[in-house]
Amino acid sequence: MTFILWLGVHPPGDHPFVTQTSVILALVVVTALAFDFTNGFHDTANAMATTIATRALSPKTAVALSGLLNLVGAFLSVQVALTVTNAVVKIQNSDGTPKEPLTTHGGEALLMIVLAGLVGGIIWNLATWLLGLPSSSSHALFGGLIGATVAGLGWAGVNWNGDGSKLDGVVGKVLLPAVMSPVIAGLVAAAGTWIIFRMTAGIALRYAERGFKWGQIGSASLVSLAHGTNDAQKTMGVITLALIASGHWTDTGSIPFWVKVACALAIALGTYLGGWRIIRTLGKGLVDIAPAQGMAAQSASAAVILASSHLGFALSTTHVATGSVLGSGVGRPAAEVRWRVAGRMVLAWLITLPAAGVVGALMWWIGDLVGGLAGALTVVALLIAAATGMWLRSRRIRVDHSNVNDDWGAVVPPVAGAPGRLPATAAAS
Amino acid sequence: MHNLGFALDGAWRVLLAGLVLGAGLPILFTLGIRSLAWSAAGPAPRPAGRAIGYGLFAVVILGVLLGIAFIVASGFGKALSFEHVYPTIVAKH
Repeated sequence: MTFILWLGVHPPGDHPFVTQTSVILALVVVTALAFDFTNGFHDTANAMATTIATRALSPKTAVALSGLLNLVGAFLSVQVALTVTNAVVKIQNSDGTPKEPLTTHGGEALLMIVLAGLVGGIIWNLATWLLGLPSSSSHALFGGLIGATVAGLGWAGVNWNGDGSKLDGVVGKVLLPAVMSPVIAGLVAAAGTWIIFRMTAGIALRYAERGFKWGQIGSASLVSLAHGTNDAQKTMGVITLALIASGHWTDTGSIPFWVKVACALAIALGTYLGGWRIIRTLGKGLVDIAPAQGMAAQSASAAVILASSHLGFALSTTHVATGSVLGSGVGRPAAEVRWRVAGRMVLAWLITLPAAGVVGALMWWIGDLVGGLAGALTVVALLIAAATGMWLRSRRIRVDHSNVNDDWGAVVPPVAGAPGRLPATAAAS
Repeated sequence: MHNLGFALDGAWRVLLAGLVLGAGLPILFTLGIRSLAWSAAGPAPRPAGRAIGYGLFAVVILGVLLGIAFIVASGFGKALSFEHVYPTIVAKH
C-alpha cells in the first residue's frame, strides 16, 4: 500500500492537490485511527472482564454490548477538548492551536512528532496485549508523545510539572493518578465486597445469582459508555490538531464530523474485537471472581471513574478496573489473590510511559534521519512490520472467546518448539 | 510539589464519592435482593419485603441515571452541579 502511495506523490508544487504534507497528514490520520482501535480492544477488559468471568453475559454478547456503548459514548462527545496533548507536552497553545514554529512547511514538524508518538503508543499497546497485560492506553499515548517531543524539541518541550496553579504535567496528570487510582478503587471494591458477602450469606442462591447478574451488566455498561466518551475524544483531538497544523481546519471550537464518525467506529470496532488475552488476565488471572464480587468490583470501577472525572482528577480506566478486581479479591473472605500476576501488571504500568516514550523517540529519529515523506512512510512501514510480527506471534497460543474463561493455569498447552511462554501471565499461576 | 497537594485533595474526594456510590449502591442493591428473598421465604408471602426490595432497587436505578446524566453532560461540555443538593446541569467552568 505504501508503495502505491509513493507512486501517487509528486514533488511539492508539481500538483496542486497531492502534496508531500497531505500524504503525511493522511498517514497521521490513519495511524491515529489505528491507535484508537488498539485503545478499544485493549480496554474491553476494563468494562467486561468480570462480567465475562462470572458468565453474567456470554463473551460474544459482552463485547458486542461494550462495543455498542463505546460507539454511543463516542458520539456523545459533542464538545471535544483539542488540548489533549497539553497535559504532557508543549506543542499546542492553550486554545488548542499548534505552536507557530511547528506549523511551517505545512505543519510537517508537528505531524512528525504526532506520528512518531502514535506509533510508540500503538506498539506498546500491542506488546502488552500480546503478554496479556492490562496497561493504560492513555499512558501509552502520552508516553509516545513525550518521547517523540523529547527527540524533536528537546527536554524543554515536555510539560513535567505544570505551572503550579492546578493539577497538570506528567507528574500531575499521569504519575500521581497512576499511583493513586488502583489504591482508591481497590479500597472501594474491598469494602463493597466484604459487606456484600456478609449480607448474602444464607439467602437463596437463585435470587442472588439473578440479581448480581443484572447489577454487573448495569455497572459494566456505565464503564463502557464512559470509556467511549473519554477515550475516543483523545484521538478526535489528536486528528483535529493534525488537521489544524496542516491548514485543513481552522475552528478550535469544533471538530470535523467525519473525524468523529471515524474515531467512534474505530474504538467501537476495537472494543468488539475484544482483547481476549487481557480480558482473561483481568477476569481469571488475578482472582477467581464470584458474581457478587464481580458486581462490587464493577460498581467500584464505575463510581470511581465517574467521580474522578467529575472532580477533575481523571484516572486511568485500566488502573481503576485492575484495582477494583484486586480489591474485590482482598475483600472476599478466603479468596486467593495471585499477587505474582498483580506484580507483573504493576511492572507493566511502571514501564508503559518510558517504554512507549523510547519507541516514540526512536521513531522520530528514524523519520527525521530519512526525512520528509519518505521518513513518514518508513515509520509507518516499521509500525506495520511490528504489528504484523506481534499478531503472528499471538497466533501461536490463541486466546479468544472460546477459551477466555478456562481455568487459569490449566489451559493453553504450549506449542511444541515455541520458545516463549505466552500468554506470559498464563504460565505464572 | 503543588501537584502532590492537588492530587491528595482530589484523591480523598474521589475515595469518599467512590465509597458512597461504588460501595453504597451495590450494598443497597444487595439489601434489595435480600428483602425479595425474605418476602418469598416464609410459608405466606410477605408483601412488605417486596415493597422494600423494589424501593431499594429504585434508589440504585436513580444512582445509575445520575451516572448516565453525568456522562452525557460531560460529552456536551457541561458539568453536574450539586449546589442545590439535587443535581443540575451547568456550564463547565
